[in-house]
Amino acid sequence: MVGSVKENGNFDVLIIGCGIVGATIARELSRYTMKTAVLERASDIPFGASRANSSMIHGGFDDEPGSAKAKFCPAGNRMYHTLCEELDFKLRKFGSFVCARGESEERHLKKLYEQGKANGTVGMEIISGQKLREKEPNTSPEITAALWCESGAIVNNFEATLAFIDNARQNGVSLYMETEVTAIIFDESRSSVRGVSTNRGNFYAPVIINASGVYADVISRMVGDDSFIIHPTRGEYFIFDKAVGNFVTSFLFSCPSKLGKGITVTHTADDNLLIGPTSVEQDDRENRNTTASGLDETFEGAARLVPGIPRNMAITTFAGVRANISTGDFYIKALERPLGFINVAGIKSPGFTSAPAIALYVTELIRENLGDVVKFEKDPAFVPERKHIPRFIDLSAGERQRLAASDPKWGQIVCRCESVTEAQVVEAIRRGARTVAAVKLWVRPGTGRCQGGFCAPRVVEILARELGVSPLEITRHGGNSHMLTSRTKEPILQDLPGAPL
Amino acid sequence: MSDGGSIVDVAVIGGGPAGIAAAIAARKEGARKVVVYERDWEAGGILQQCIHPGFGLHMFGEELTGPEYMDRYLKQAKEAGVEFALNTMVFQMDPPNETDDGRRSASFWVMNPNTGIERVRAKSVVLAMGCRERPAGALGIAGTRPAGVYTAGTAQRFVNMEGLMPGKKVVIMGTGDIGLIMARRMVLEGAEVVAVFEIMPWVSGLRRNIAQCLDDFGIPYYLEHSVRELHGRDRLEGISVVQIGKDRKPIDGTERFIGCDTLLLAVGLIPENELSRMAGIELEASTNGPAVNELLQTSAECVFAAGNVVVVYDLVDFVSEAGERAGSSAALYALGKLGKGPREFAVETTPNIRVVSPQKLCGARDTTVFLRVAEPIEGRCKLYAEPGIFSQTLRYARPGEMNEVKIDAQKLRALPGDVKSIKIGLEAVK
Repeated sequence: MVGSVKENGNFDVLIIGCGIVGATIARELSRYTMKTAVLERASDIPFGASRANSSMIHGGFDDEPGSAKAKFCPAGNRMYHTLCEELDFKLRKFGSFVCARGESEERHLKKLYEQGKANGTVGMEIISGQKLREKEPNTSPEITAALWCESGAIVNNFEATLAFIDNARQNGVSLYMETEVTAIIFDESRSSVRGVSTNRGNFYAPVIINASGVYADVISRMVGDDSFIIHPTRGEYFIFDKAVGNFVTSFLFSCPSKLGKGITVTHTADDNLLIGPTSVEQDDRENRNTTASGLDETFEGAARLVPGIPRNMAITTFAGVRANISTGDFYIKALERPLGFINVAGIKSPGFTSAPAIALYVTELIRENLGDVVKFEKDPAFVPERKHIPRFIDLSAGERQRLAASDPKWGQIVCRCESVTEAQVVEAIRRGARTVAAVKLWVRPGTGRCQGGFCAPRVVEILARELGVSPLEITRHGGNSHMLTSRTKEPILQDLPGAPL
Repeated sequence: MSDGGSIVDVAVIGGGPAGIAAAIAARKEGARKVVVYERDWEAGGILQQCIHPGFGLHMFGEELTGPEYMDRYLKQAKEAGVEFALNTMVFQMDPPNETDDGRRSASFWVMNPNTGIERVRAKSVVLAMGCRERPAGALGIAGTRPAGVYTAGTAQRFVNMEGLMPGKKVVIMGTGDIGLIMARRMVLEGAEVVAVFEIMPWVSGLRRNIAQCLDDFGIPYYLEHSVRELHGRDRLEGISVVQIGKDRKPIDGTERFIGCDTLLLAVGLIPENELSRMAGIELEASTNGPAVNELLQTSAECVFAAGNVVVVYDLVDFVSEAGERAGSSAALYALGKLGKGPREFAVETTPNIRVVSPQKLCGARDTTVFLRVAEPIEGRCKLYAEPGIFSQTLRYARPGEMNEVKIDAQKLRALPGDVKSIKIGLEAVK
């Protein structure tokens, strides 16, 4: 582009990517007076792997003692148990089982148990298949033993990611949506970073944190660090109607293989049933397609753990792409040259769990390596607590009555399946939702059994009204994903010669 | 929260054709306070967006549009003294309680933006919540998740109620009636409808809609075809369709790409029974609706049900008729005049009948049993109810069109005491 480049001002820290990693780091830095900005490429949060995953807060027994994963996962797990209260997102302490069939897999359970002990995982026990079926009667009779982990928990991963960035913003962090980093700006000697160029102009800061998920290697190469490669790995999932949510009441793993943790079956934080993922490495970082064969594989894999899940009770399918990294472990490193650039890469499973602990570590990395360019002064105005938009579906009759009396919009149901009121949608928009998908991630209209059949026209109408735009401008998820193409009659009038349009 | 709440004689949940007919009948039967609870801002239900003609041929002997048909009923309701609670959503229903006199009464919770939350107690209730459309996710179509995929009814709302077009180049999956109606509607509004696909070897909607909505507009339809994959990241850019074999599985190698920006789904309707489940009412697996007898009484004796919440009908006229029956029964119950039926019969069917309603008979009144065949029978066939209740020869029987079995209550009551079931069957006639 020739001519004027938009200058978006000076910050202390720029975070590239607003997945769970970017959001937790932003929230951690918002404790200090420094100026932080988060740049997110997508139109809704969360968008990448933080959006499409198994929503598990892992106990921490999966990873080799001594690895970064083994260090951050159990620590993150402990943090989530208090953060969910502080930041008001749904975390449900269902516990998890790793299910084994036969002796060789049972030996593996023992290995996981020992690993967990070394890593500091709490609440583990190996139980018989029969004991498992007493707790989870729908599990396969072929399962001979299981590793119970009491500290395994399920979050609403949309709510959790939004909670961190919402609180960060309340504490002064700036968030720029649909902002894609195209280049890094250096000082003259290229010895330190000065900022980034984006499709929306330049942002300046002496510290840049690369939390860009599947694009981490692309961004890293912009500063000349090609020490790792991201192998995007796609996984397909099904979500089932709440009517069969109680098929299981915890999180069930197969015994892990080389390919990953395999297909899991879980009762979600919102009482649906979730199965997946498959694991297919691909070159394309954007391909989030489901496939007929992948969906079959998902379903068959789940049936090995829990036979009899009724496939016709599925309400939707989706795929996520996780950032498998060539180095295997999490790759978190502050570069010496250019100074100011920190990679936080390869944060795949148990990445969501580890994120809050990683955020603490990254904060320390900045303090140690860049303490002279960024001041760490506690912000006296920092408020650690934040409230989610009240979830009407979970409120008591008295609380519902109180809210409905306070504002008629609390008495207006927009989404029948999930009992979402107009007030919730309006508040989601006030807090930054701009698309139908973003509203859905915030307050769940369209996540129920009718999948937006009833609420989609209403959500479009409310978005248009609140944003002061035409309904024709409202998109499903940004870009060209317009929900509607024209007013009625327009296509006919356009065809008439000399039509007044 | 006013814990006393309001007390009504007959509460009707849902202000569509079934509910309004029920409320009118309840008033005519002598119930005093009859209230229809409707979640939309106006009564009429889905018919308010059905602006095409074709309603009322049985009930009024003329062809009306949906809003015209409802207008007639709404006028009657006003004259009959039916009360309406509009913009009022019933969000919770309690299992019916036993009252002091050993009978049962119902209670549920409503919410209105202006009056807040209130508990309603009713001597009897008519469930008339209708049905909803089966969504795309349930089909497990692979591919992307773009904008431009809607159920036909959602598209109908956008076009007919909001004046907004969901797309320009349309493919329709499923030959349900709303899909066929929307094919024509989209063409009339200037969109191109590329084709209609149906997974089954037969059409699932009414034949007259194939003629009037597809044939008259030159829209092709293909049986035994299904959408396998969606393409396009932002807006839909096309679909892959595949031929379906006799084993109901996709035939490999028959896949082809069709460019379109919109996919409308008309792949089935599901009775909306969340409230029925909350109230502990017994549901019938074959219909997904409450199990009822000819009084349209559910397993909870003070709760009645009518219309598409019980079984998905083909014509609204039958829905209204069922509403009348349920309203009349509910009023009699509220007045303490509805006795137990003289007899109890289970309705059994031959395997070629997929859906039957009601599934129980008590011999209290003459009635019609509605049924849908599992597969079409093209040619003469005999429809019967045994022993010796009903017999009729049909020219054909098709899943998209319901068949009726007239039941004479006197004949039922006269059956020998050891007869506990009525068998309804259908067989081809040479």
